[in-house]
Amino acid sequence: MSTAGASPAPAGFAAAGSAAPASATTAPANLSEDQTAALQEIANIGMGQAGDSIARIWKQFVALSVPRIALVESGRIPTLIHHFVGDARVSAARQAFHGAMRGEVLVVIGRGNRDQLGELMGYDGQLDLGEEQEMLLDIANVLGGACIGGIARQLGADVGFSAPSLIGTDLDSHAVVRPEELCVSTALCVEVCFTIESNQLSAHLIALMPREELVNLAQLLDRFLCNL
Amino acid sequence: MDENTDLKLLGFIVERLEVGILAIDPQFRVVLWNRFMETHSGRDLDSMRGQCLFESFPELPERWLRRKIESVFELGNYSFTSWEQRPYLFRFQHNRPITGGVDAMRQNCTFLPLRDASGVVRLVVLTLSDYTDTALIQQKLTAAMAVSDEERRKQRALLRRLQDAKAQLFQSEKLASIGQLAAGVAHEINNPVGFVTSNLGSLERYLIDLTTLIESYASHADQLPPAAAEAVRRQREKLDYDFIREDLGALIRESREGLDHIRRIILDLKDFTRVDQSGWQLADLEKAFDSTLNVVWNELKYKATIVKDYRHPPQVECIPGQINQVLMNLLVNAGHALGEKGEITLRTGPDPSEVTGAVAEVWVEVEDDGCGISVEHQKRIFDPFFTTKPVGQGTGLGLSVSYNIIRRHGGRIDVRSTVGVGTCFRLTLPVQRSEVADAVSESPDLAAEVTPEELLALEGPDGA
Ligand SMILES: Nc1ncnc2c1ncn2[C@@H]1O[C@H](COP(=O)(O)OP(=O)(O)OP(=O)(O)O)[C@@H](O)[C@H]1O
Ligand SMILES: [Mg+2]
Repeated sequence: MSTAGASPAPAGFAAAGSAAPASATTAPANLSEDQTAALQEIANIGMGQAGDSIARIWKQFVALSVPRIALVESGRIPTLIHHFVGDARVSAARQAFHGAMRGEVLVVIGRGNRDQLGELMGYDGQLDLGEEQEMLLDIANVLGGACIGGIARQLGADVGFSAPSLIGTDLDSHAVVRPEELCVSTALCVEVCFTIESNQLSAHLIALMPREELVNLAQLLDRFLCNL
Repeated sequence: MDENTDLKLLGFIVERLEVGILAIDPQFRVVLWNRFMETHSGRDLDSMRGQCLFESFPELPERWLRRKIESVFELGNYSFTSWEQRPYLFRFQHNRPITGGVDAMRQNCTFLPLRDASGVVRLVVLTLSDYTDTALIQQKLTAAMAVSDEERRKQRALLRRLQDAKAQLFQSEKLASIGQLAAGVAHEINNPVGFVTSNLGSLERYLIDLTTLIESYASHADQLPPAAAEAVRRQREKLDYDFIREDLGALIRESREGLDHIRRIILDLKDFTRVDQSGWQLADLEKAFDSTLNVVWNELKYKATIVKDYRHPPQVECIPGQINQVLMNLLVNAGHALGEKGEITLRTGPDPSEVTGAVAEVWVEVEDDGCGISVEHQKRIFDPFFTTKPVGQGTGLGLSVSYNIIRRHGGRIDVRSTVGVGTCFRLTLPVQRSEVADAVSESPDLAAEVTPEELLALEGPDGA
């Protein structure tokens, strides 16, 4: 997968629900096969709903990739992001979510027509730097809220969000996350790519949950499976 | 506590919290407006209740804010604004009537969806926190950082100047010692050359006398007894006297030319080493070329054919010693570039007859058909200590010093080069000493601007 992103992930990949680039991942030790499959299913539905809501608020057609789920060694996260996003210059923001599920969402946005996008979000005329940053934060907030919110709702989990913060604009995709600032050793990674065709916007959402949190997630998934 | 007191307590908190709280329905009508909002907006709940937010506050960015609130109704998720990107949503006075510092209260806002039992979002609650103090601290921090950035930039500039100065010092010391040596040698040679020249004069006179004497003997040869006359004739033939007589003149003439040459070289050397008689004077760049060429001739004579293409431009106002130094650097570099054999062309211009009006600039070129300089290296050749030559042959200072000299003259130094074809350096100098040149050359020197402490700090334990 490179920058374009909206093309569906390879079938085997999505079905297995594990393993993105083989080198960057290990099997999700703390989630059983059933739990992983359920998570994949929930993510598929949640992201679909998210895409639908986003399409409604932005009144644009939004294409989504099949979410990819993998347990990742944190040292590999930068490589993984580069793998998802490709070589392009990007802008990025992060947002924390907490409650029954805890983690961070990274939203990485590639090239796009900023001014058109700004128009879409209700800005007038050409964007200044502050507006561009605000828009980036808003996109991160909307995507993060829709996706994590969608998953949480299906799991019947209560999740809150902190205000998003800026990582940077015009970054090298390797620089979105620096390994030295990571404080967990392994994380569950859920990746999905949104594309708004009319604005050539492509945004990758990468939700990361520390491995320790998987205990909670596993419980939620079990509850979900029981209620089926 | 019963439910009633709970509600009262909650109501009290909402009312009195030092945070702006308002709630709006899907038609953007206000349903809640707490004390903070009343105080800062000057409008009370009664006058706000049921009012459309955008009608009451036309200064709000309506299109954008509508979208934002709509998306909270639609998605049921939180949304935020931060003072860093959007200083405020409502223009309120800040909490610093005395100490000031900003134009209006800085605000962070949160948009909360409020769902009913069925999960539909009925209201959006907007909270507004005062971030003015944080913003002010940030402002100060940014200012402090700007100052320290500026300082660092200055330090870097200083360091570079120091490096340049060091390089220049090094090169001029090198040149000065070459100059001293040359001047010493010139002086030593001058004495013997002086007496050889005068002896040669005497010798020539004596030889003329001697030949005259021999001629006069010869004119009386017929008076000798035949045997003696025959012996003299044979002797004269054996020694090839006629040739000797002819050759003597040529020998003397050539020796005198040789001595002249030596004297010219000595003069050029003295001329050239006039580095420290550093006054601005009018100088003829072609003469400068010629005298410099004489100085470096020894290095060039076996491998270089020199082609001169002079157009006799007017004299330029310059510091001749320094210009000679530049020309020497270029000639030596060209010589090095040639390898075994090659051609060096010295060109000057413009041709005054082809110029209309006064000539403002004069140029000289040193072109070689040597190894050339790669494009990457072309960017670096003017850096101090950049050299591709083996230790002992190059220090990498020639061009950096030349560059500085030409810059101080208000001129330019340009290079054209193709690897494997050759290189041409062109100096362009204003005919008249320009104000720029004065400004550059008379800018306060290092010692005046850098204190010894600064120097020590910059140099560090093992030098900068
Ligand atoms: N005419 C030329 N042809 C090819 N290369 C050149 C020429 N002139 C300069 N250079 C390149 O530029 C470099 C820097 O030249 P510069 O005169 O500054 O230093 P240097 O000749 O190496 O040493 P120094 O002049 O201090 O003895 C040289 O090492 C050489 O690589
Ligand atoms: Mg040199």
